[in-house]
Amino acid sequence: MTHIMVVDDDQDLAEMLGIVLTGAGYEVDLVNSGDQVMPIFQAQKPDLVLLDVMLPGLSGIEVAKEIRTHSMVPIVMLTAKGDTQDVVLGLEAGADDYMIKPFNPSELLARIKVRLRRTPGVESTTLTIGDVQIDQVAHTIVSRGKTIPLTRLEFDLLVALAKEPGRVFTREALLDEVWGYQNATDTRLVNVHIQRLRAKIEVDVDNPQIIVTVRGVGYKAGSGE
Amino acid sequence: MLLSRWRNSILFRVILSTVAFTVIFISLLGAVLYTQISHGIYREKVNASVSEAESLINYDQGQLYATQYLSNLKLPVVIESILRPSNPSVDTAPREVVLLGSLLGKSDAVKYNAASNNLDPASIPTDFRKLVQKSSHALPLRTRVKYEDGSSQPAILVGSEITIPPGTPYELYYVFLLNEQVTIMSFISKLLLLTGIFSILVIGLLSWYVTRQAVNPLRDAAEIAEELTAGDLYRRMDVKGQDEMARLAIAFNEMAVSMQQQISRLENLSRLQQRFVSDVSHELRTPLTTIRMASGVISDNARNLDPAAARSAELLASQIARFEALLTDLLEVSRFDASASILESQETDMGELIRQTIDYLHPGDATEIRLHLPDEKVIAEVDPRRIERVMRNLVSNAIDHCEGKPIDITLVATAREVAVGVRDYGVGFSERNASRLFDRFWRADPSRSRIRGGTGLGLSISLDDAKLHQGTLKAWGRLGQGAHFVLTVPKSPGIPIESEPIDVDPTAGVSTSFLSFDEDDI
Repeated sequence: MTHIMVVDDDQDLAEMLGIVLTGAGYEVDLVNSGDQVMPIFQAQKPDLVLLDVMLPGLSGIEVAKEIRTHSMVPIVMLTAKGDTQDVVLGLEAGADDYMIKPFNPSELLARIKVRLRRTPGVESTTLTIGDVQIDQVAHTIVSRGKTIPLTRLEFDLLVALAKEPGRVFTREALLDEVWGYQNATDTRLVNVHIQRLRAKIEVDVDNPQIIVTVRGVGYKAGSGE
Repeated sequence: MLLSRWRNSILFRVILSTVAFTVIFISLLGAVLYTQISHGIYREKVNASVSEAESLINYDQGQLYATQYLSNLKLPVVIESILRPSNPSVDTAPREVVLLGSLLGKSDAVKYNAASNNLDPASIPTDFRKLVQKSSHALPLRTRVKYEDGSSQPAILVGSEITIPPGTPYELYYVFLLNEQVTIMSFISKLLLLTGIFSILVIGLLSWYVTRQAVNPLRDAAEIAEELTAGDLYRRMDVKGQDEMARLAIAFNEMAVSMQQQISRLENLSRLQQRFVSDVSHELRTPLTTIRMASGVISDNARNLDPAAARSAELLASQIARFEALLTDLLEVSRFDASASILESQETDMGELIRQTIDYLHPGDATEIRLHLPDEKVIAEVDPRRIERVMRNLVSNAIDHCEGKPIDITLVATAREVAVGVRDYGVGFSERNASRLFDRFWRADPSRSRIRGGTGLGLSISLDDAKLHQGTLKAWGRLGQGAHFVLTVPKSPGIPIESEPIDVDPTAGVSTSFLSFDEDDI
């Protein structure tokens, strides 16, 4: 059974999230403060974390960083503030996606589903983008002989670009493909995650060769070198 | 230019008028002084000349008579000595002598008609000669005398009748040259002129200096007041000494301090208020999320509810949606009020954005939307989230108010700016209402405007979005003829728009009453 950890200091909201998620068939752990997250996380090994940004004890952003040092589990931030700074900080701390309160429960479920989806049976098991080899079965990437740990979202993002090497992806297309958003114009998600991904796989982040920016359009897979 | 300086500068005005008055006064004074001095000098000279001439003439007459009795004194010799000009080493002033026969042309008795030093005897005016002939004593006259070589000199003539034995009447004129007096007067006049010019300069400088003393603090005060107005609330005047200017500076600074306090108090207050609105909006979000999810759970189970409860669940859901929209807009407004809004510009295909907006609003088949896009792609560097929000607002407004008539959406681009016009031919609005259109929570017609559950903040936010782009949002409307909204934004951020490619007044030239909204209108 899929395990979801809900971290929110508002007990009523946490309980409501519990009802909705349980109703959707997930197993739910409720945590009410930031400093309780890690012990429960270690014990339960959840498949996904729903994390409120404003938390007593340890802030959501710090919690996200803490989780990222141990695990590549998908993290979806819950925030009351859609302001750039908050969202970008959360994404940079390692969150894969975010939901602005008040969110639509069905949208939340849809996002969770996208974040949890397994890459379905693939034709070619290995892909190459630049000097990076992607093993879609083992879910690992190898760059210059080293295995690099990626979150599932970063993995999906890289696979999306690698699968169609010639295509230039607009940010909207990537939002659709990787995040499962339709008609979305919030491109911060894409920008932040491309940056995170580049930091992990590019030799020179300021001069990216693997994920290339196409000015005014979006991104595409580079030829490497 | 002079006129404008006259109007704009106290300094200029004071100096100019002071100098003008000084020139008039000094000229008058100089003229009076000059005439007084020259009168004095000449009168003195005339008196001296008359007495000198009288004694000379008496002596000459005596000598002439003496020739009759003294054998060694010959008449020609005496006359020659009379006609001898002055001796510079003996006499105080140069003089000439003219001897004229009174009966000239009437008698053969006249033997002598002569003047010293080639002086032209005709220099003696005939009128004066007649006076002298009638007078019993010596008479003076100021005139110019001529020499035979053509030159002339100012001089005083003193003339008297004289008798040359044996009894022929003659007139003897002593001509006292005024060279010295003329030199003195020209020296005095030069002196007066120099003094005058010097005084004018000194008084001009003095008035400049004194006026500056008074004007400079005023000018400083004006400059500092301008800077204060421009927002630099920390500017103060320098306080020097304890005079009236210092009092002005102190009073001015006190005013600035109290103004600054007032402003910062108000700023604080409005910051608190904005914080409050923002906090409230944020605080409301968490419970709203819970309510929304609860309502979702209830709606999902609506089949198990009785019809009244099911309808209630439906109303609950729709009102929660409205509440949420309101909250989102409120938050946006508070962000604008706190100047916390940031423009996130990126290259955007404007035509595509408009199409997306229409797709998103998916108006029913009853509404025909006519798109007028240029053939070429219009790419502008704008914040797509904001521009799309503006477009949604304008287009959904048009859909709400078009009354089934078509809607025209026009996109026009120039080198610097991009403009989108949204025109409907529906209810429109009266000119009276035009100015309130962008007010928060203002509704033109309370009975119809809630069809789509607008928050009443849409146009206000749109205007703020346009301004954030350094663009404009203008509205035109006529009751029963529809409305026209035009958004104009620069193609690249930071380059202000120069023109508006779409005229907000669709009847331009026929009757105009469009409104423009600037910073102060909200």
